[in-house]
Amino acid sequence: MKNGPIFLLGLFVALAVSFGGIVLGSHAQLGRLTPYFDETEGQAFPQRTTGIAARGQLVYADLGCASCHTQQVRRPDYGSDKARGWGERQSVARDYIHQSRPQLGSSRFGPDLTNLAGRKPAAPSEGDLLNLLYSGSERHPAYGFLFETQKVAGEISSWSFSPTGKSAPAGYQFVPTERARSLVAYLLSLNTGYDYPEARPVAPTAKKEEGHK
Amino acid sequence: MTNAPTNAASAEVTAIDTQARGPLLLLLASGVLWLVISGILALISSIQLHSPQFLSNCVWFTHGRVQAMSETAFVYGWAANAGLAITLWMLGRLGGQSLRALNWVVVGTLFWNLAVAGGLVGIMAGDMTTFSLMQMPRYVQPLMVFAYATIAIAGVLAWSGRRSDGTYASQWYGVAALFLFPWLLIAAQAVLLWMPVRGTVLAIAAGWYAQGAWTLWLAPLALAGTYYLAPKTSGRVLPSYEAAPLGFWMLIFVGAWTGGRHLIGGPVPVWISTMAIVACSMLLFHYLIVALNLRVLFCATGTSAKFLRFGLVAYLLGGVLEVIFSFRSVAMESQFTFMATALEQLGLYGGISMMFFGAIYYMVPRLAGNAWASGALLSGHRVLVMSGVLLSVIALAAGGWSQSAGLLDASVSFSAIFGNLRLPLLLNTAAQFVLLSANLLLLVNLFRSICPCNSSVAVTPGLFRQPATLEAPAL
Repeated sequence: MKNGPIFLLGLFVALAVSFGGIVLGSHAQLGRLTPYFDETEGQAFPQRTTGIAARGQLVYADLGCASCHTQQVRRPDYGSDKARGWGERQSVARDYIHQSRPQLGSSRFGPDLTNLAGRKPAAPSEGDLLNLLYSGSERHPAYGFLFETQKVAGEISSWSFSPTGKSAPAGYQFVPTERARSLVAYLLSLNTGYDYPEARPVAPTAKKEEGHK
Repeated sequence: MTNAPTNAASAEVTAIDTQARGPLLLLLASGVLWLVISGILALISSIQLHSPQFLSNCVWFTHGRVQAMSETAFVYGWAANAGLAITLWMLGRLGGQSLRALNWVVVGTLFWNLAVAGGLVGIMAGDMTTFSLMQMPRYVQPLMVFAYATIAIAGVLAWSGRRSDGTYASQWYGVAALFLFPWLLIAAQAVLLWMPVRGTVLAIAAGWYAQGAWTLWLAPLALAGTYYLAPKTSGRVLPSYEAAPLGFWMLIFVGAWTGGRHLIGGPVPVWISTMAIVACSMLLFHYLIVALNLRVLFCATGTSAKFLRFGLVAYLLGGVLEVIFSFRSVAMESQFTFMATALEQLGLYGGISMMFFGAIYYMVPRLAGNAWASGALLSGHRVLVMSGVLLSVIALAAGGWSQSAGLLDASVSFSAIFGNLRLPLLLNTAAQFVLLSANLLLLVNLFRSICPCNSSVAVTPGLFRQPATLEAPAL
């Protein structure tokens, strides 16, 4: 360590090797991943989030929703993700290729949202989501800043909604702002129902039999 | 330097200390100020977990943003400033001459703090990047690299211009942190912000950066100070010192590979998490060597040694727990729960910050030329901060434990999980409150001690104990 330049070079090499291995290595493996074209359906998956839902993705990021919600489903035999109805299959890298900032998240203080719109038996409706955002719940904050109380001028807005347990003063209506509408549109676009070949779990029994032969 | 010191106090405070007084105290004071700010934010964020309507109506303080701000203020405000002050001071002293380029340190500190403040405002306004430990928006990131490099120059100059040929472990760790962080930050910015890679590679790269910031920057900063002070506070030569280079290179070469453990079971290639698990286990050698070297801290006395000891135990415990939590079967349970938060708290607050506190308590009297203004504030800070960290880590770990049991059983509803979490989360809020009050005591004590009205040119005789030996024969 007496030789300064060699010491600094050693440090630099250590950093470069880990960068090359982890970041460039996974980039080489995943960077050219393309959408999967399904011939029977005649379209490619995953589909791009477009329009208002794409703007909603930015709202999701800037409010920091990922601090309590994950967007990654683990394989059925690893945790209870499938049993909770969060997704029939595990999330794979291909699910995220169109996302500029995948919101994988690291905390499940709230439920996973990967497949919110494709949940079975019932996915939440637009009204449910607006209600949760407006009134909150014992576990979810109420984001009043996403809504406006507007004076009814002429017709009632097609976006006007009535939150449970609260009604607007006479002559007024509650209207979600553009940000709230895009956020809800984004949440309702979250659907990973399509089953990619790489997402199917390897059947352990079949493998065993092969091994015996 | 040629004359044998006759007076203990004058040998302890040399021109190296007095000339660096202004710039280093500026770094340190801004660090402690950020620590208090991050404590306020952490308190808000903790309250929001059990009372979600707290400040929820204000878009600036959604839970996600507050959490990102508190993490940013803690790592880039407190840990960076304090760690740099300690490391520069140590490098100057071991280099045997006054620090050069101190004007650059002042300029760098001002710009660094400007960047952190701008970053916090950016997050508050909704521009966060959503990458863990790199939440500050794109527009302040280049300034961070520039400001950091400006501060680091003084340390690298002190090291390359050192009087003695040999080097010490504290210098390796210090120089590594000073030299590697700008490269780490540039590389991460390039692939995350400027020429972003696609899809989940972003998550992998963000994990690499977050782990690198921990193992190539924060941990070396903390160890630099601790390796320097362990022999000084205990009066003994570090044992098993010949193994120290192995421990150092282990951390530097293997450390950054452990980031993928947070992505176990996630939508990334399996080799990412497998490599991380292997690297985590290899890192045990680093922790073993650090434990062997620094065990002299258990024979040391004094405030500073108490903090360093606490920090060392938390650092080692965190390292061992990381290995256990990286196994796939354990990760399945601990992932996405407050157990992960508890482990992070143990490392960042219990390990790194405690080592910084220990070094600060040793360094400030020597820089300022007078003792700490109040012994009561000092012991108050020590008792409160230690109990706050313990309470917070234990509460979060217990909460995470019940949370993981609930999450794994699909028949347990989220409201039942939340019901069980309420008490641990309330305890965590109490802990955050204790931590905030503790750090306010430190802030008051620091400002009273370094206030120019108190400082005297002549060092009070009998302030310092006999100078201890150097850490070991230089390698």
